[in-house]
Amino acid sequence: MLFSEARGLPVTAPGVAGPLGTVTSLGVDAASARVSHVRLRAGRLRRETVLPWDSVLTAGPGAVRVRAPAPLEQAPPRRELLGHRVLTDTGTEQGTVLDAAFDPATGRLLALFTSRGELSPARLLGLGDHALVVRAY
Amino acid sequence: MNELMTARSLTTRPVVTLGGDAVAHVKDTVCDASAARITGFTLTGRGLLSGPLKEGLPWSAVYALGHDAVMVRGRRGLVSAAAMTAHQQTVRARVLGARVVTEAGTEVGTVLDVVVEGGTGGRVVGFRVAASRGFAPGPTRHRRRVYVPRGETLEVAGRALVLPGEAVRHVADDLSGFTALVCGVPGVRRGSLP
Repeated sequence: MLFSEARGLPVTAPGVAGPLGTVTSLGVDAASARVSHVRLRAGRLRRETVLPWDSVLTAGPGAVRVRAPAPLEQAPPRRELLGHRVLTDTGTEQGTVLDAAFDPATGRLLALFTSRGELSPARLLGLGDHALVVRAY
Repeated sequence: MNELMTARSLTTRPVVTLGGDAVAHVKDTVCDASAARITGFTLTGRGLLSGPLKEGLPWSAVYALGHDAVMVRGRRGLVSAAAMTAHQQTVRARVLGARVVTEAGTEVGTVLDVVVEGGTGGRVVGFRVAASRGFAPGPTRHRRRVYVPRGETLEVAGRALVLPGEAVRHVADDLSGFTALVCGVPGVRRGSLP
């Protein structure tokens, strides 16, 4: 599943009538190359809630189903992966992230697609406010 | 050989941790007394109105000096800038504007910029020099800017840098030619001077 496909999907929980909100973005833990949390918003003017990836039962197609919603109190800082600058550990920019594929069952990242070609998630080092740092080789 | 870059172009380059966070911007480069190596950087804050930082970045904390960013392992590598510049001075204060002469006494010109090697070495490779009239004849308005390799031996005598005579036998007109010259690869470069 692609990050761009996941964005905008309704989030539903068993026992709750109607969707909790729609997915605004997926948070990534770069060190383990996994999706770590889901950000969702109930309405245009509502605050974002952050759910850990552990609480997701199934992702897609058409909806993200979660267990009883237990949002994280300590919301991690917002780091949008899509559109982020890519920087190698030798300090050279390598385009921007266009999209990323992940396994909807485990949340593991499968591939990153950048404006300079595909990138293996094994090369990820860190995702910060300035750039996504990847190993040069 | 790693990419060559001028010390002036390092100013405003972001200092980024391996976690991807920008910590600061480079303000100036600090090199050792014989202008052989970079020993660190002074920093400014990231915001538009933030002034110089009290912390400096020693070269030992630098992971790699790259084309678009100075990579550091983490925030903890920063040290007090006052301690770092106590014995060494920044490039701007020390080397820029210095006269370059050869051992034989030929006046080469004045230093405009310092060329350093990127990557992990931090070597000073050469200087960008506003050539003096005797070294590169021509009208004053179009005075040549040449890249002069540092050579193995360089003496600092007051405000003058004394180069061995053979170091200035070959000079380059631009940075790519200078890379070819320093690497010893044939490329676009100027021949030997009379």
